[in-house]
Amino acid sequence: MRFPIAWRLGLVLVMVGLLGTGLTGYFAYQASREQLVNSSEERLLTATNVLMRQVTVALNDVKADVRLMAQHPQAARILQRSTPGFQALGEDNVAMIFAGLMSVHAEYFQIRLIESANHGMERIRVDRGMGGLLRIGGDDLQEKGHYPYVFETLRLPRDGIYVSRAMINHETGAHAGEDRPALQVAAPIHDANRHAIGLIVVNVDLQGLFAQLAADLPPELKLYLANTRGDYLIHPDPSRSFAFDRGRDARVQDEFPAIAALLTKQAGESWHLVTANLPSSAEALVAAFDQRRIPGMQDGDGFILGLSQPLASVLSESKQLASITLGIVLSFSALSVLLAIFLARAFNRPLYRIVEEVRRFSVDGKIGSLPVERKDEIGELAYSIMQMEKQINHQIEDLQMQQEMLDHLASHDSLTGLPNRRMFLGRLEHALARAKRQNQQLLLLFIDLDNFKTINDTHGHGAGDAVLQAVAQRLRTLLRESDTAARLGGDEFIILFEGEWNGAQIEQMVLKVKTALATPIPYRDIELRSGGSIGHSRFPQDGSTSSTLIAAADQAMYHCKADKA
Amino acid sequence: MTARLASVLRRLLLPALSLLLLAATPASAEQAVLRVLAWPGYAEPEVVKSFEQQHGVRVELTVVTADATLWEKLNTHSFDVFAVNAAELQRYLAANLVQALNPDAIPNTRKQLARFRDLAAIPGLMRNGKAYAIPFTYAQMGLIYDRKQFTTPPRSINALWDQRYRGKVVAYDGGTHNFSLAAQSLQLASPFRIAPDDFPRAAARLIELRRNALGFYTQPEEANHLFMQHGAALMFANYGMQQVHMLQEAGADIGYVIPQEGALAWLDCWSVTRDAKHMQLAHAWIDHLLDTQASRLLVERQGLSNTLSDDDNGQPKGKSVWLQPPEDTAWREELWSRIRSGDRLSRVLAQ
Repeated sequence: MRFPIAWRLGLVLVMVGLLGTGLTGYFAYQASREQLVNSSEERLLTATNVLMRQVTVALNDVKADVRLMAQHPQAARILQRSTPGFQALGEDNVAMIFAGLMSVHAEYFQIRLIESANHGMERIRVDRGMGGLLRIGGDDLQEKGHYPYVFETLRLPRDGIYVSRAMINHETGAHAGEDRPALQVAAPIHDANRHAIGLIVVNVDLQGLFAQLAADLPPELKLYLANTRGDYLIHPDPSRSFAFDRGRDARVQDEFPAIAALLTKQAGESWHLVTANLPSSAEALVAAFDQRRIPGMQDGDGFILGLSQPLASVLSESKQLASITLGIVLSFSALSVLLAIFLARAFNRPLYRIVEEVRRFSVDGKIGSLPVERKDEIGELAYSIMQMEKQINHQIEDLQMQQEMLDHLASHDSLTGLPNRRMFLGRLEHALARAKRQNQQLLLLFIDLDNFKTINDTHGHGAGDAVLQAVAQRLRTLLRESDTAARLGGDEFIILFEGEWNGAQIEQMVLKVKTALATPIPYRDIELRSGGSIGHSRFPQDGSTSSTLIAAADQAMYHCKADKA
Repeated sequence: MTARLASVLRRLLLPALSLLLLAATPASAEQAVLRVLAWPGYAEPEVVKSFEQQHGVRVELTVVTADATLWEKLNTHSFDVFAVNAAELQRYLAANLVQALNPDAIPNTRKQLARFRDLAAIPGLMRNGKAYAIPFTYAQMGLIYDRKQFTTPPRSINALWDQRYRGKVVAYDGGTHNFSLAAQSLQLASPFRIAPDDFPRAAARLIELRRNALGFYTQPEEANHLFMQHGAALMFANYGMQQVHMLQEAGADIGYVIPQEGALAWLDCWSVTRDAKHMQLAHAWIDHLLDTQASRLLVERQGLSNTLSDDDNGQPKGKSVWLQPPEDTAWREELWSRIRSGDRLSRVLAQ
């Protein structure tokens, strides 16, 4: 038993346990990881969508401001020129409104009132400068008629709104807004005849606007903004923002290739997606992008807004998950090993007890303790084995009894119960050996019944048997423990005496025997009369072997019988 | 695993694996590599392929789309041969980034039009009697006009200033070219050498242009939009035939003329870098690009003109004024940004 069954069972249990916990852990991890990644992608996309909605809302606020100013009666009155006094007062009032709005809206670089006459001359202009708001006047006012925000706006209906594409403002003298990314939002000013006589234009600080909106984002999220051609307007790496303005290319589809297809197939439409950047990039990113058209923006342009998150941080949660799962798997594996050992022992111990018991039983044949008290298969097995042991013991007893009976039958005369010739010879040999060793004497009496044949013939075999039985009984009563009487066959008997015997003692014994034999034997209603002829021989006087001694006694008996006759 | 994640992993893993494979494969040391730096459409795939087959080499093509990028690439990376315009070439010469080449080793130069074969006649291509560039393609900046608004085609550059087309003129937003135009308009001695005394006149001329113009563009798409949406009559075509084709495709009924003063024109040439490893191969490349295959594709696909024939493009004939580095680019741009911003002359000229 080099590899006990219980161990094998234990091993199988351990393996099943490990496999079970391992596979469960693996698939649980896979499913949860997928969910984690999905949900963080979902979060990213939701954040992007929300941000995009805020952008739209913020731009709508700007549009509302611009429209309000353009439709204010004071704006049209200034352009129509009243008396100089009123004119100056009116212009001051409008400039105050501009300044008021700009102090509320930090993202406004500049608000201007521009007339359509005089090549689009600026009439009222408030700029954001280093030290605060500046009212620009005199020679610093410029002609803007050739800018799209002027000639495009002047073509609009009264309620129309112009939104420029995002661009770098290269207009000199624009103070804080100069060479900074901006959007121009403009609305026309109409006179009573519905002629466009001027416009209000607000320059919106693009970076400021988005910095405000993105202020609450977690720091690991990076903001991207592009126009619908894919040119970056805002990028975590400032050198990529407005690269086209410096004669270079830096486009979102070059960094995030999945966008290229959407830009060509769904130009101008709204879409959003979650994607990854080019594998050659220094840091792997997951990014969500949302494209929307901005109503009123030139050329049907809009924004592609994106938020990126390092792939590592998306996966870090799943790393944590992996270690938790691993911990669970390991502890359950350990538990399954312990359980397997316990089970193996619980199974092994009663079996081992049974094996030991069977082994011991085969040595001493005694029924020991077996786990019969158990109510399971092992209890049943123990009970069966105990029953089997009992049965074996029983059968062995029977066998021994039969053996004894056979031995008796083989060594005794069945009719008289006296030892037979074979047994007698054995005892004689023993006695001879003992006598030779101890210098003792032996005496043999050879008896032959008289009239036996006549009794048999006259009264039947039953009578003969009765005589033989009676003779045997009477001989037994005459003998000591150490003496042996045997039936040699037919009507011949022999008696062995051990010890010293003189002539007188022998005569006395012979007489005793003869008397016993001569006593009538009752048989049914009659009495049978037998009697016997007796010869004797002695060791060492008459022979030194069993055969010579028996032959000598037989010879003596024969002489006696002859004398009688 | 989501398809998304799978694709992320694929994108991250596959290139890494292929890099490993590449690293494991010993590069065939025998095959020479020619490193070419060119502009979009100059070296079409079939042109590159036929060169590789004929010469048993590999071409490593890098494409740039801006002068600034070209300059940066050539200063930071190694190349054998590159395409550069004649005016830009001057700073590469000054920085000692190019080396002289041998036109006799380029048999296809004999097929070129006479005016491109005479390198000495084109400013900037030769220095100390040695040739540094071979002309490859060019574009003239003519005038696009609306046939409905012009009974006869404009003849002079001065049509841009014509009060009759006020608010219907579209011009280019670039100080260097615009001062050259102003110089042509004022009939100054050279469009690229404006004397300091002439700057106030030129600036005033450009303010007049501003007041006459609908707007200024930088990209051909912008120009197209302005021309089509606002019923423009006349446009300075900074991108030449490319713009003509775009407008015709958009359904505009336009004409294209080269003004009598001559059209500003850029000329792109092939040059060999100072640290070129394969001089012979570089010459063979230039010869290959002057062959009919590459020259024909240049016209068919890019709408550019090749140097072999005048008749391919439907381009009107007329004098080219090859662009040269102006006397002071920075000053021109500075003044132009003020003019463009709407300043009046006094402010423009203020120091």
